[in-house]
Amino acid sequence: MNLESHELEELKSKIGREPTSTELQIVAAEWSEHCSYKSSKKHLKMLPMDGPLVIKEKGYDSGVLDVGDGYVITAHIESHNHPSAVEPYGGAATGVGGVIRDILSAGTRPIALLDGLRFGDIEKDQHAKWLFKNAVTGIADYGNCLGIPTVGGEVEFDECYTNYAMVDVAAIGFGKKENLIKNHAKKGDLVVLLGGATGRDGIGGSQFASDSLESEDRSAVQIPDPFIEKLIIEAILEARNEKLIHAMKDLGGGGLSCAVSETADSLDIGIEMDVDKVHTRESDMHSDEIMISESQERMLIVTDSEKLIKLQDICKKFRIDCSVIGHVTFDNKMHVKKSGKTIANISTDIVANATLLDLPSKKPIYLENIENTKSFPLLSDYSEVMLILLASPNIASKIWVYGQYDHEVGIRTVVKPGYDASVLRLDNGKFLSIKIDGNPKQCYINPREGAIGCFEEACRNVVCTGAKPIGMLDHLQFGNPKDPEIFWTFLESLKGLTDFAKDFEIPCIGGKVSLYNETPKGSIKPTPVIGVLGLIDKTPLRIQKINSGDCLIMIGNTKDELGGSEYSEYIHKFIGGKCPVVDFSDSKKNMNAVLEIIKTELIKSAHDCSKGGLAVAVSELCMTNLIGCTVSLENVPGDKLDNDKILFSESHSRYLVTFEKKNLQNLEELLKKHNVSFKTIGEFGGESIQFTADSKPILDLSVDKAQKTWLNSLKEMVMHA
Amino acid sequence: MVDYCVHVTIENKPGISDPEGKTILNDLVLKGTHQNVSKINTAKMLKFTITENNKESAQSKVREICDELRIYNPMVSVVTIDAFDA
Repeated sequence: MNLESHELEELKSKIGREPTSTELQIVAAEWSEHCSYKSSKKHLKMLPMDGPLVIKEKGYDSGVLDVGDGYVITAHIESHNHPSAVEPYGGAATGVGGVIRDILSAGTRPIALLDGLRFGDIEKDQHAKWLFKNAVTGIADYGNCLGIPTVGGEVEFDECYTNYAMVDVAAIGFGKKENLIKNHAKKGDLVVLLGGATGRDGIGGSQFASDSLESEDRSAVQIPDPFIEKLIIEAILEARNEKLIHAMKDLGGGGLSCAVSETADSLDIGIEMDVDKVHTRESDMHSDEIMISESQERMLIVTDSEKLIKLQDICKKFRIDCSVIGHVTFDNKMHVKKSGKTIANISTDIVANATLLDLPSKKPIYLENIENTKSFPLLSDYSEVMLILLASPNIASKIWVYGQYDHEVGIRTVVKPGYDASVLRLDNGKFLSIKIDGNPKQCYINPREGAIGCFEEACRNVVCTGAKPIGMLDHLQFGNPKDPEIFWTFLESLKGLTDFAKDFEIPCIGGKVSLYNETPKGSIKPTPVIGVLGLIDKTPLRIQKINSGDCLIMIGNTKDELGGSEYSEYIHKFIGGKCPVVDFSDSKKNMNAVLEIIKTELIKSAHDCSKGGLAVAVSELCMTNLIGCTVSLENVPGDKLDNDKILFSESHSRYLVTFEKKNLQNLEELLKKHNVSFKTIGEFGGESIQFTADSKPILDLSVDKAQKTWLNSLKEMVMHA
Repeated sequence: MVDYCVHVTIENKPGISDPEGKTILNDLVLKGTHQNVSKINTAKMLKFTITENNKESAQSKVREICDELRIYNPMVSVVTIDAFDA
């Protein structure tokens, strides 16, 4: 773990002397990209972070939104890509643990998890299969042991993740506004480390996450212990109820170094601590190792001597260790001692605030011609293609994944995984809708429009449950930022997200930047993952079963946008073409229209059109309701296009709405009032999924066969072959 | 060619935590009267029966199988391989 030479010079000039070895380790951890955000921080400020519901407090690791009646929700997203790539089970599980503690540190109870997973081609690559299988098991084991439901997520496979794993975890918390921890400290307060013992695991993890992954052996492996995490959650919440916590921070990347320096810096205090007071797993640990160990399941708490006794009682009750490692001072210094001797004494401002970089950016050469369109041979029958798509890893049902997660524990989950977004019941009678989305295929072709697309898709999913988007989490995952071309894609994505967030007044309440995501073959595709939270004041859309005779309306225009589509990439192995672009004004109109028709209770279900386009979206409705449907392509709103484009283009802002025929007139009137582009495109009935063009069938697939393929394909890929 | 019994013990590398071992120690053993126990480590053992020319080749063949099939993750675990006459 090393500082770069110019950083070392900078450190020396800032402190005016040679740093001690401990200081070097502390600063190297804290100045790593992972902890300091030195490449991205300057630019992240462009995102709108304020809104009427946003509650801000110094030192929060998660975003806080006021949902009324004295309640708040908290949300955060984190990734654990590097650790999961070397040890998928432990890496994914500890990723879940880390984000849960971010939620906890605001003083709220974690109530739901979502995860976004990305791996290489599992059809061909045994290693990708191994990573996938074990990451899913890791998440399931950890979340299930804690009694926190995993309510949603997404899974994607792309060759750009060969020999790598992307594990993003978002967590949602809920609590009373009055119970939020108001981070503060006064002189003489005590600093307590609570939870698991500090060991040699994960040493150098944050630095590791800031390097490209090499094959050499590293000890950045963390072993998950969900039972300690559960005890920590309960102990902390009890301490919160007893008002024993002045300030709190979770230990993540950078371990004690980061937690202590950041707490001190954000509270404008100093902290003096002694490494000998830290409870360790091994007796012979060096003080530098103690300072940077990233052992899991630990929390840092600031309290006072009177409250400490009660806190210790709580810890004893839950049988977790806690040690007083230091106290608060007012010299704004991070003072580390070992057996009374100073081993580091450095201003927290210097440690916690690495010099921010302004890296050069340059439009990548590969983008020059990538959006040139390519026409694929037109077929008279797409049934075969459709079956292949339904079996493809990116489109096949993810039931093999979410079937392993407990998604109902806590009895809040009203809409479960497998639909557009998940919905949770809150204690004040309102409902929270959540979804995370990513689309590296589109982001690769057009980093700006692709990122906006992910954002809009997550909004669409939330809107389909009847919720108004109130907050966004962004997770920006890219390759090496020192490559100007990669940095350009980062900036473009960020600008796109900023424009959308501002226009739609959806504040960014939290996020994460993960850089240096590189595989032996080069950088990953730009992979922003966007989470959107929506609030439902009254009732969520009650999804009803579709019956014979029910009708299907499509809202939103289908455009010539096959770029990055599954049809283009999976069927034709072609990377390129026109990336779908979100038209902000249409997007807004369509969202408002869908929200209003859900309120009127005129419809049975609303579903967004995304991966695989219209053909897959209609099939999903048929397969989940086990009913056939006939759709005429000439009725699909939008310009006159080739059949394959209407079927498979992944244009945004499109919704499929199902309803009883008797409501048609009312619905049409409402939609006209909203001035949206829509049309009735089909009717349900029979036993096959049918698409016709000019009254001639061009796709005809038995629902039963389609459903079996779609449901079982992923499981078969993982378990057999 | 003779049958050999090969034991493969998979355990966490030293320094990596072992929650299961720690729980057995604290919540079971030390709750009894066995205060002289200071550490428990858990491990997984696979018992292979393999037909080979001699003990050494039985041992190396099993190691090869474990490495090739990723029966353990070398990032996290260490394996000890012992061969016995069956």
